[in-house]
Amino acid sequence: MRDVMVIGAGLSGLLAAIRLRQAGLSVALVHKGRGGLQLGQGTVDVLGYRPQRVARPLDELDEFLADQHRASDIAHPYAHTGADAIREGVGYLAELLGEDYLVGDAEVNVALPTAVGALRPTAYYPPSMADGVVSLDPAKPGALRAGSAVVVVGIREFKDFTPELIAGNLALNDLPGGGRLEARADWVSFPARDGEVDSTGLNIARALDDPARRGALVDQLKALGRPGETIALPAVLGHEDPTAFADLRSQVGSPLFEIPVPPPGVPGMRLNDRLTRIAKEARVEVFLGSNVLGADSAGGVLQAGVVGTTGHDTHLKARAFLLAAGGFESGTLELDSYQKVSETILGLPLAIPAGELIHDTWAGQQPLFSVGVATNDDMVVVDPATGEPVYSNLYAAGGVLAGAQRWDEKSGEGIAVASAVRAADAIISNLAGGQR
Amino acid sequence: MSDLLDTNETAVEELGPRPGLAPGQTVWELLAAVSPRIKDNPNTYEAQQLNRVSLDQCVKCTICETMCPVAKVTPLFSGPKFVGPQAERFRNGESVDHTLDYCSSCGICTLNCPQDVKIAEINSMARAVMKKDHMPLRDRLITQTELEGRLLTPFAPVANWALKQKPIRVAVEKVVGVHRDAPMPVAQSQSIKGWLKHRKGPAPRRPGQPDRGPVVFFTGCAGTYFEVETSKKTIEVLEHLGFEVLVPKQGCCGLAEQSNGLFDSARKRVVKLCEQLNAAGKELTVISSSGSCAGMIKHEAHEIMGVDDPAVRSVGTRMRETSEFLLDLFDEDELPTDFKTLEMKIPYHAPCQVKSQGMGMPAIRLMELVPGIRVIESEENCCGIAGTYGLKKEKYDVAQAVGRNLFEKVKEHNEGLAVCDTETCRWQIRNSTGVSTVHPVHVIHAAYGLSDVFSPEV
Repeated sequence: MRDVMVIGAGLSGLLAAIRLRQAGLSVALVHKGRGGLQLGQGTVDVLGYRPQRVARPLDELDEFLADQHRASDIAHPYAHTGADAIREGVGYLAELLGEDYLVGDAEVNVALPTAVGALRPTAYYPPSMADGVVSLDPAKPGALRAGSAVVVVGIREFKDFTPELIAGNLALNDLPGGGRLEARADWVSFPARDGEVDSTGLNIARALDDPARRGALVDQLKALGRPGETIALPAVLGHEDPTAFADLRSQVGSPLFEIPVPPPGVPGMRLNDRLTRIAKEARVEVFLGSNVLGADSAGGVLQAGVVGTTGHDTHLKARAFLLAAGGFESGTLELDSYQKVSETILGLPLAIPAGELIHDTWAGQQPLFSVGVATNDDMVVVDPATGEPVYSNLYAAGGVLAGAQRWDEKSGEGIAVASAVRAADAIISNLAGGQR
Repeated sequence: MSDLLDTNETAVEELGPRPGLAPGQTVWELLAAVSPRIKDNPNTYEAQQLNRVSLDQCVKCTICETMCPVAKVTPLFSGPKFVGPQAERFRNGESVDHTLDYCSSCGICTLNCPQDVKIAEINSMARAVMKKDHMPLRDRLITQTELEGRLLTPFAPVANWALKQKPIRVAVEKVVGVHRDAPMPVAQSQSIKGWLKHRKGPAPRRPGQPDRGPVVFFTGCAGTYFEVETSKKTIEVLEHLGFEVLVPKQGCCGLAEQSNGLFDSARKRVVKLCEQLNAAGKELTVISSSGSCAGMIKHEAHEIMGVDDPAVRSVGTRMRETSEFLLDLFDEDELPTDFKTLEMKIPYHAPCQVKSQGMGMPAIRLMELVPGIRVIESEENCCGIAGTYGLKKEKYDVAQAVGRNLFEKVKEHNEGLAVCDTETCRWQIRNSTGVSTVHPVHVIHAAYGLSDVFSPEV
C-alpha cells in the first residue's frame, strides 16, 4: 500500500507529489498523459486582474475575495487557501526550481510583453524574461520603462512570432507610470537543422542547446542591434541547457529577453521537465499513460484507485488520495449536450452556479468555468449541498477546484501551488496522526 | 478498443437486430460481414474507424511532437501529430505523408497524449496500408524471429562467428538491407527448451517456502533462443519463491510482423500463441520477461490490429511482466526481501514498449528493494532500436541518434552492468556501449544468492 495516490501531473500534482515525498511518504503519481504545465508560458500568475490590473496580488486578495463572495455563492479557491498558502506555495516552487528557472516576487506583479504585443501581469517568470519586465510597482523601476527602445526580432524559419505585430502593439501601450516604449521590428534567419524552412520553436531551442550553433544567431543580433536597445526574441533560446540563455545574452552584449509563444512552449517545458526530474529522483513513483477509471471505497473512505494499466485494471491502494487532474481542458470535467456537467474520474458532486452556464457574449466571464469540486480549508472534497466530506481521505487541488475564472483572473498557477501545498500539508499531518 | 466494441455492441442491440448480426457477434465481425473490403483487407478505412474516433479528442497541443524521439533527431520524420491526427483527416486508405515510414512505432506519442488520442495506433495502421502492396523482402525476413532462432541455435558458434565478419555483414546489408553495424543477438547452443529438457528438475524452493501453485511462463522468441539466461533466471527466481513454473509449447507473438505492417500473419501468430498458453491453464497468471511481447498480448494486438479473440483477451488480462509480477507480490507483503547487499549504481532504461503498458516503472522499485542498489533512470524515451527499426540500413543512423543520450548515460554511470527489460533494446545498448546489459530479474536472481551479479548476460 502507498501512502498517497496523486492523480494528475500538472503543476499542482507534481508539486504536491514532491512535497509529500519529501515528508517521507510513499507517493504514486498517476497521470494519463503529460500535464498541462508544458503548454504554459513558464510564468507563475497569482492574481492578474480583479477585473482591473492587480499590482500587489496578496495585498489586494481580501478585496478580490469580498467581491467574489458578493457575486457568487461558490467560494473561490483562494478563500480556502488564504494568502499564506499562496506565499508558501510559490516560495516552495521557486526554491525547488532555483533561480536558473524562476525569479520574481509573490507580493508584486510585473507586466511582460506577449506574442501580440500586450502587457500581461504575472508574479514569477524565468530569468530569460527579466530584461522585458515592466514594473507595476511605482517604487521600483522595471527593466523596460518609458522611452526604452526595444527591437522585436523574428526568426524567418519560425512562423508563430510576427515582430511587426508585436512591436506595433507594444509601442501603443500606456505604461503604468506614464509614457510608452519605443519598439521596432527586425528579422534574422536561423534554420534549426538541415536548411529546415519551417521549424518548431522546440527544434530551434534544441539547436541552441549546442554552443557551437549559437554564434550564427549572435552575429546577426549584434549586427542589427542599435546602441541602448533591448532585444526581444521568441522564447526558443535553449531547451535542456539552462545556461544557453545566459551564454547568448553575454555574447550579444545587450539586454535580451524571450517572449512566450504558442505551444510547443519551451519555457513551460523547461519547468515541467525540471519538476518531473525532481519528482522521479525523489522516487515519486510515476505512472505515465495510465487512466484512473474509478476507485474502491468503503465506509466513506477511499481505499484504492482503479488504474487502467494495459490488459487488466490495477487496484492501487493508498491511505490518502489527491485529485489534481485539471478541469475541462483535461477532460476531468465534462459538459454533455443537455448542459449537465460531471466529474469523470470519481463521479464527485460538483459546485455549479445558479442560472445560465454559458452565455453568448464572447469576451465576458462564462459561469461554466467556475464549476468544479468544492472543498473545505484542508482541501478535502466536500458535497456542496451539505458541506460534508465526500470521502474522508480525498483531497483536491488545481484546475478541478470550483469558484475561479482562472484565465480571466490570471490566477491559474497561484491556485495550483497554493491548493497543492495546502492539501499536501493536510495529508502529511493527518497521516502522521493515523495508523500506518 | 474493447470498450468501444462493447459500447457499439450495446448501441447496435438498442437499435434492434441487424441483418447478419448473430447473437454474440461483435461489431468487428459485423463490419467484416457488411463490408467485403474489410474482409479481404482488414487494414482498410473502415477497420481504422475505431481508432479514428479518438481523433476528435486531439486539441493539437503538440505534446506528442515534443516527445517523439525520432522527430527530435531527424527531419526525415515530420512528427506523430503531423502524419497522424492531422494527415489522417486527408487519408482515404492511402497516407498523404510518406515520412510515416520513419515512425518507429515506439508508442511514446500515445503514452504522453493527455487527451487519449491513439496516435501510434492510428499511424501503425496507416503504415500497414501504405506498405501493403510493396512490402520489402527485408521486412518479411527480419520479422521471422522464431525461424531465425531455430536456424541459428544448432550452428551457434558458426553463426556468431559469421555475424561478426565485416564482409559477410556488408553483403547482408547490400542484399537484404540490414545495416552492417546493426546489433545482432548472440546465438546460443542450447535453447530454453533444451535447458528445461536436460535439467534435473525444478530449482529448490527457498527454505521453509510453502508451495504457491502453478504459473505459466511465456518465453518469447528471443527468450527461447537468444536471451536464454534471462528465461532461466526468471524460472529459477519463481521456483525459489515457491511457484511451479509451467512452460507450454509456444510460438511467436507476431510483434515484429505487426510493427512492420504484416498484420495478417501477425494476427494468426498471436491467436495461436495465446491458445498454446491457454492450454497450460485457463486461469493461471502468465509471466513474461519479454517486456515488448507482453505488451503485444496485453494491448497492441487488440488496439493496432483489431484482434478480438477470446484466447488473446483472456491471456492479455492474466499477463504480467516479471518485474510487475514481483512488485505486486511485494505490495501484498508476499515477496521475501532478505536480499544480499549489492553495492552498485545501475543505469536502467525502461523500453518504450514497457512504458506504454501504463504500469509505471516497476523495475526501479523492485531493484531498489535490494540493499545497496541505486538505480539511475535513463530518462530517455527510446533506445532507437524499436524492435526491428534500428536494424534497417536506411534507419540505422536515425536509431543510433535516438539512442545517443541513453548510450552516453549508460557509459557514464555503469559499474559493469546496465539493465533493460526487453531483448532487442539490450542488444542495442550492448552494441552501442559495450556494457553488459541484463533484464531486472538477473539482479533479483543475484540478490537472492542464486548467482553472481556478474554471471553471463546471455
